[in-house]
Amino acid sequence: MHHPLLAPEGTKMLLLGNEAIARGALEAGVMLVTCYPGTPSSEVPDTFYSLMESGRFLLEYSVNEKVALEVAGGAALAGALCLVTMKHVGVNVAADPLLTMAYTGLPGGLVLLSADDPGCHSSQNEQDNRYYARSAGLPCFEPASAQEAKDMTKAALLLARRIQQPVLLRTTTRVNHLRGPVVFGPLPEPAELVPFKRDLRRFVPVPAVARIRHRALAAILDGIRPEVEASPFNRISGSGSVGILASGISRAFAHDVVLANNWQKQVSILDFGMTWPLAEKTLETFMRSVKTLVVLEEGEPLVEQAVYAIAGRLSLSLSIKGKMAGDAPLSIFGEYSPLIVHNALAPLIDAHAPLREVPACPELPQRPPNLCAGCAHRSVFYAARKLFGDSTCYSSDIGCYTLGLLPPLSCADFLFCMGSSISAGSGFARAGGKLVLGFIGDSTFFHSGMTGLVNAVFNRHNLLLIILDNGTTAMTGHQPNPAVQQEVLGNTCVHMDIASVVRGLGVSRVAKVRGYNQKAIQRLLAEMKEENGVRVLIVEEPCVLFARRTLRKKRVCTAYVAEQGADARQCAETLACQAFRRKDGIIDVDPELCTGCMVCMQISSAFKAKKGEE
Amino acid sequence: MHNKRLRIYLTGVGGQGTLTATTLLARVILDHGIDVVSGEIHGMAQRGGVVESSVLMGGWQSPSIYYGEADVLLGFELLETLRALPYLAPGGVVLSASEFVPPPDVNMGLAALPEKEDIRRQVRAAASRSWFIPISDLGRQAGALQSGNTALLGALCTTGLLPFGLEALKDGIRKYLPPKVAYANLQAADLGAAATR
Repeated sequence: MHHPLLAPEGTKMLLLGNEAIARGALEAGVMLVTCYPGTPSSEVPDTFYSLMESGRFLLEYSVNEKVALEVAGGAALAGALCLVTMKHVGVNVAADPLLTMAYTGLPGGLVLLSADDPGCHSSQNEQDNRYYARSAGLPCFEPASAQEAKDMTKAALLLARRIQQPVLLRTTTRVNHLRGPVVFGPLPEPAELVPFKRDLRRFVPVPAVARIRHRALAAILDGIRPEVEASPFNRISGSGSVGILASGISRAFAHDVVLANNWQKQVSILDFGMTWPLAEKTLETFMRSVKTLVVLEEGEPLVEQAVYAIAGRLSLSLSIKGKMAGDAPLSIFGEYSPLIVHNALAPLIDAHAPLREVPACPELPQRPPNLCAGCAHRSVFYAARKLFGDSTCYSSDIGCYTLGLLPPLSCADFLFCMGSSISAGSGFARAGGKLVLGFIGDSTFFHSGMTGLVNAVFNRHNLLLIILDNGTTAMTGHQPNPAVQQEVLGNTCVHMDIASVVRGLGVSRVAKVRGYNQKAIQRLLAEMKEENGVRVLIVEEPCVLFARRTLRKKRVCTAYVAEQGADARQCAETLACQAFRRKDGIIDVDPELCTGCMVCMQISSAFKAKKGEE
Repeated sequence: MHNKRLRIYLTGVGGQGTLTATTLLARVILDHGIDVVSGEIHGMAQRGGVVESSVLMGGWQSPSIYYGEADVLLGFELLETLRALPYLAPGGVVLSASEFVPPPDVNMGLAALPEKEDIRRQVRAAASRSWFIPISDLGRQAGALQSGNTALLGALCTTGLLPFGLEALKDGIRKYLPPKVAYANLQAADLGAAATR
């Protein structure tokens, strides 16, 4: 097949960080890729998806991250070279197998991509997954450019295969979503299988084996120390007396700020790219060569702690600047930026250099992310708010429908993580004595809603659960999941019927309704409001973007406001569709945005339909 | 090898196609042998949020542009142009859509848009040169609303800020955009270029 990412050695191409990761994996001869999509990691498996025809590898969108890691772990035991991709919070889900895989080792080799999200651009927390490298015992690579994303993925996979251990590739949003030139290396045939040899004293970690394997893991990590010290990804440049020890995207900030200010002579920089096991000799050499050391790392002060430990053990007299001593503006919060790096370096290099300031930004109408025009979630939230108002608590989950939190829909009161709508909702109802309405999407239901639902039935919880089945994994870009219709999935995957699954899990009260049918949704919610126990309403309506792009659905009509007045205003203010416009008190429907879902027409007689594409 | 260092900040509304324009621009720059890095931040922005992206040419490592650093601000929506104005470097250049995509609070009647003339005044005060172009109109004229983004790139190519002109952009459109939308984008590039004259 022809695909830009299969171009020969020497090709130079602008790639997204995530595309570069895919190319790097191909250059290492990856055989199997598993994932659960999640921003900012999703373009990695989606790139592989676009390369499926090449026949070079197997790809699976697993139902959650634990399953993805276990499937790849099994394949790596069988001898395949594997890549597993997920966002940072997904690693929590996969942590159980991860920490034991490092004990057993994986003969085929496995790299786990953890795409972290400092600054919470699209996540519920900004946890630092470099901790997993330390707690599980995983060698760790942290790229800072598209070229390095490719090169480090390849290096990580080759290392994983050589030492037969899982290796962590840790990125952050800025790296996943930057684009830069990448020079391609050779593209070999996929790696050979490493034949499995039964070894009960290695692969079955009963306590007696686990104790031995813990020591084996420590020995393996010790064994690679020399090559970590010699790693081309840990580079020292310059010979100034102010040392900059930088990792992740902070490396790019540091180089740009130094160049922009002509500070090259005053500083030396240690680009710290292979960050675990710790290259202690490299750190010591660097620390001995400078008078002041600034540690630039987003998130937790992990490298900084190590630097303090080395300085203490060797009684080094250098001055250390970082976030542990509260050296402004460095902190554990959010992303670093060129401004933060400038202001951290300037006082150490040039006492007269002015600090840069954040300008006052104009107060303007905000533009928060919002449910699309024609999204059936909006229809459901409208009905829920109308029937339940503030009398109930809304237990939300992870997906587009989290956006139901915004007024006027206001359908999210709490949320922890994937699947928590059901179990946290169960607990809240039991202790709070209040009716709880839970919302969960189809992909999230299969990801980790099913276990909570079994628990809710088993422990006789009281919960009204709405499964918002839009037939795709919408938020992350329409990846396959078991709810996607069979015609779209093709032969490789099997569609699963959510209603049958829910009944099979023991729920006796189950109803199904179409997402644009306001009358039916309101009638069923009114019925279920009066009932007790676990009851599930499945709302089916394809994601409006998916319907247009993949299912090729064309709209047959659009809405317009036939009669201005209180009725039209009421609908605009409570449904708040993105296609509604208001100017000088006149309500209008944008014909370019309206998808013809007809929900507004069911709510207010002031809205009418007109036929045709516009 | 062209060594002029230039930082371009792009901003728009999710769903507009801002990122397609960003990638196209970065690819054309790289095709001219100029080092380039580009970035984008768009977590949930497909759902109507703000989409910010960057193109840095001539030897930068970081894809981030901070306040006061952008040599060029490309605003694909007028309100977002104003919101991003603090990113403009002193003496920078602004090319902006002259149209609004009203945010939810405005459509709900809870907030008001600034006056267009007021935005123009603020932009002129901050920028050495500025253009306001009806990119949605031009996109429709060209045959596809979203090609309006390319109109803004066409306009950028006439400013003399880039080491290449309109033809290079059009080569990039032919090379990188799907054939079925290429024609509309070629038209849009011409319309945008004409709009600065």
